[in-house]
Amino acid sequence: MKKKLLAVLLAGAMTVSMFTACGSSSSSSESTSSESSSSSESTSSESSSSEASTEASTTTSTGAGETITIWVADAVTSLTQTMAEEFMSENGYEYTIVVESVGEGDAASNMITDVEGGADIYGFAQDQLARLVAAGAVQQLTGTGYDTTIEEENGAGSVAAATFGSTLYAFPMSADNGYFLYYDSSVITDPTSLEQIVADCEAAGKNFYFEINSGWYQVAFFFGTGCTLTYETNDDGTFASCDIDYASDAGLVALKEIIELQSSSSFQNGSSLSSATNVAAIVDGTWDSEAAKELLGDNYAAAALPSFVGSDGETYQLSSFSGYKLLGVKPQTDADKLRACLELAQYLTSEECQLERFNEVGWGPSNLAAQEDEAVQADVALSALTEQSNYSIGQGQYPDDYWTLATALGDDIISGNITSSTSDEDLMATLEDFETKCISCAQ
Amino acid sequence: MKKVAAFFQAIGANIKDIGVTFKEGGWKTKVSFVIFGFGPLLRKYYLRGIAFLALEILYIWYMVAFGTSYLAKFGTLGTVETHMDPTTFVTVYGDNSFLILLWGLMSVLFTVLLIALWRMNISENRREELAAKAGKEVPTIRQDLHQLIDSKFNYTLLSLPTLGIFLFMILPIIFMICVAFTNYDFSHQAPSKLFTWVGLSNFANLFSFGGDGFGATFAKVLGWTIVWAFFATFLNYFLGVAVAILINMKGIKFKKLWRTILVMTIAIPQFISLLYVSKLFAADGLVNSYLLKWGVISQALPFWTNPTWAKVTIIILNCWVGIPYQMLISTGILMNIPEDLYESAKIDGANAFQMFRKITLPYMLFVTGPYLLTSFTGNLNNFNIIYLLSGGGPTTMSMSGGAGTTDLLITWLYKMTVNDTNYCMAAVIGIMVFVVTAVISLAVYGMLPSVRDEEGFQ
Repeated sequence: MKKKLLAVLLAGAMTVSMFTACGSSSSSSESTSSESSSSSESTSSESSSSEASTEASTTTSTGAGETITIWVADAVTSLTQTMAEEFMSENGYEYTIVVESVGEGDAASNMITDVEGGADIYGFAQDQLARLVAAGAVQQLTGTGYDTTIEEENGAGSVAAATFGSTLYAFPMSADNGYFLYYDSSVITDPTSLEQIVADCEAAGKNFYFEINSGWYQVAFFFGTGCTLTYETNDDGTFASCDIDYASDAGLVALKEIIELQSSSSFQNGSSLSSATNVAAIVDGTWDSEAAKELLGDNYAAAALPSFVGSDGETYQLSSFSGYKLLGVKPQTDADKLRACLELAQYLTSEECQLERFNEVGWGPSNLAAQEDEAVQADVALSALTEQSNYSIGQGQYPDDYWTLATALGDDIISGNITSSTSDEDLMATLEDFETKCISCAQ
Repeated sequence: MKKVAAFFQAIGANIKDIGVTFKEGGWKTKVSFVIFGFGPLLRKYYLRGIAFLALEILYIWYMVAFGTSYLAKFGTLGTVETHMDPTTFVTVYGDNSFLILLWGLMSVLFTVLLIALWRMNISENRREELAAKAGKEVPTIRQDLHQLIDSKFNYTLLSLPTLGIFLFMILPIIFMICVAFTNYDFSHQAPSKLFTWVGLSNFANLFSFGGDGFGATFAKVLGWTIVWAFFATFLNYFLGVAVAILINMKGIKFKKLWRTILVMTIAIPQFISLLYVSKLFAADGLVNSYLLKWGVISQALPFWTNPTWAKVTIIILNCWVGIPYQMLISTGILMNIPEDLYESAKIDGANAFQMFRKITLPYMLFVTGPYLLTSFTGNLNNFNIIYLLSGGGPTTMSMSGGAGTTDLLITWLYKMTVNDTNYCMAAVIGIMVFVVTAVISLAVYGMLPSVRDEEGFQ
C-alpha cells in the first residue's frame, strides 16, 4: 500500500515536471498571451467602472494601485525611472512606475507579439513605426493636442519620422540615429576620400568597417549618387507605393562602388565597435561614441562620411539616413491612464529631459531648443553627425521587407554572386530585380 | 484498407451496441441518454453517477459561459474590429481572432470529449443492468475508490499525463495547423486587427514557383535541410566510430586522456562554444586575421559569407560537436563485441578492413540503427548549430521570405515568426517539417536491421 502511494506521488511529481517542460517549449507564448489578455480584459472592465467614479468626483490624483510600464534602452533605464517618478509626484499622479530595459530594436517585436501585455510607453527606432501601426500597437497623437506641441518643439525631420500616412504617432526622443565615420587619426590621412581611407587601411593592415548588407548603411552609396527610394504610406499602416530609381546609371555607379569597396582586403562588413577587431575606421553612430573614445584613445576622431570617385569618373559625396528614436504610447482602454501616459511621454521627451539624457548618456536631442545648448554643439561625435546631416536624407517609412531585401543585395555582393567582373547588363538586371521587389513590398 | 474496414466495423458495432442498450434498457437507462449518470445514481453507483453528471454539468456551464460565444464566431474569427473613440481617444478592443480560434477549438474538442463521455455513460448503464440481472452486488464508494489504486491503477497514473499532453501538446498542434489556413500575418495581428480563414491559399503560395511565390525558396531550403541532415548524421557517425576504434586499439597509450579531451567539448555548453567558433571564423575573426598576418592569404577566407563555404564550414564544425558523443556511444558498443569473432576472423586471414566491414559495422548498425534514425530526424531540425553559427546567412535576392542559403526549414520558420511575424506561412512550414520528418522516419524505420530482424545478434 505504501509503495503504491509513493508511486502515485512520484508519478504526480513527474507529470508536474513534464508540464513545466512542455509549457516552456511550444505553448508558452500562446498560453501566456491568452492569460495576460484575459487578465487585462478583467482589469479593463474594473478600471472602466473606477473611471466612472473618478469622473464623478473629479479628483486630480489618479492611478493609485495601477502601474505604468515603460520600456527604454538599457543605458537610460535608471534615468527614466527617476524622471518618471519625479513627474508623477509633481503632478499628483499615483501610478506606480515600472521601467524595464528593452532595446529600441526589440521593443516593437515584443509589443507586436502581445499588445495587451506590452509596455504602456516604449522607446523604439523609427524604422519600427510601420510594424507598430500595422499591429495597432501605438496610440495616434493627431487630434489629441499633443501633436501641435511636438511639431512646434522638434525638428521637421523628427516629426516626419513619427508620422505615418497623415497621422502623427509618437514623441521624438532623440535625433542622433544617423551614422558617420569614426577613425584612427594616426592611420587615416584624409577622412574625406573613400579611396584614401581604404588605401591607408590596406597599408596599415587594419580594418575599415562598413555594413553594406544593411539597408540602413547601404543607402549611403545609392543616395550619394542621386538615387531615390521612398515609400508612400496609408493611414492604416500599409504602404501605398514605392518611388525608386536604383535601376539607372546612378544606381549602377553606386553598386559598382560597393563592389569595389568590398573587394578591398581591409574591408569588413559590420557596424558594431564592440565586436570589431583591428579597427582603423568604422561607419557607425553616436551610440558607439564612448566605445570609440576608449578604443582609439588620443587618436579618436570623427568626421562626415567621405566622398568617392565613381566608375564614371565623377566625385560623389556619400549620403546617409538621418533617423530618430521615438517614444510611443500604447492604445489605452482607460481615459485617465491614457492622459497620464501621454503627459508622461511628453515630459520624457521635453527639452529638459532630452538635455539630461544628452549629459548622462550622450543622446543627441531632437528638441530644437535643446539642440542650441552649448555642450551639445561641442560634442565631437554629434558635430560629425551635424556635418553629415548636410548630405543626409531624413529616414521615412520603409516596409520590413525592404530591410530583408537590402541585406540580400549586400550579401550577394559579399558572397561573390556579383563581383567586379560581372557585366554591366547583369548588374543592371540585379538592380532591376531589386527595384521590382522593392515595389512589390508596397502592395 | 483493412484498417479502414476495421474502423467502420468498430463504428457499426458501437452504434449497434448503443441501440441494443436503448432498446433493452429500462427507463433509468433511457433517461441516462440525456442526463448522464442518472441510471448509475438510481442504481446506487453514486460515485460513477456523480462523476458523469458533474462532467456533463461542467460542459454545459463551459459552453453557456464562454464556449458558444466563441464557437459562434469560429466561422469568421470575429467581425468587430478594435477601434479608437475619435473624441476621447480611448481604445475599445473588438473581437480577438486569436482567442476566438483558441477557445473555439477548445469548445470543439470538449464536444468531442463529451460524445466520448456519453458513450462511456451508455456502456456503464449497460454493464450495470447486466450486473443487476446476474445478481451481482453494487460496489460501495469505498470499493470504487479502492479500485483506482488497485485494479484500475493504470487510469490513476495516466490521467494527469494525458491531460497534460492534451493541453500542452495536442491543443497547440491543432491550433498551429488551424493557423496555416488563416491569414494571421503582420498586417492581421490580434487583438488590434482581425484575421480570418483563407483556405488553402498559404499552401498554394508555398508551392507557387515564379513571381513572389515561395516555391523555389522552399525547394532550395528543403534540399539543403536534407543534405545537411545526411552529412551531419553520417559524417559524425563514421568519424565517431573511427575515433572510438582508434582509441580502442591495442598499443594506444593514455586511452583515458584522449577520451577526456574529447569529452571536454561536451562539458562546455554548446551554445557558448558555437558562438565562439562562429566569431573565430568570421571575416575579421582570429583565423582570418592570423592567416592574413602571416601572409598565407591576401584576402579573408569567406567562411560565412560565401554560401558554399558556409555550408561546408557548418558541416565540418558540426563534426567537432558531434564526434565526442558518437565516440562515447561507440566505445561502449565496441567493447561489447565478442573478442572470439575477431580471433577466428584473424585465423581465417581477414585483414583489418575486412574485419571492420564484416564484424564491427554490422554489429554497430544493428545496435545503433534506431539511434541513427533519431539523430537524422534530430538533425533535420537542428536549430542550434545553424542559428548560432551562420544565422542562416548569407541571404540572397534569389530567395524569398527572408530565407538565407544555409537556413534549415526550422530556422526559416523561426525567422518568419520572429522577424516577419508571418505566422500563417510559418505554420505551413511547420506542417511541412512534420511531413518531411514523418515520411523519412517511417520509410527508414522499416528498413532498420534491428526492426527487420530482431533476433539478428542474439
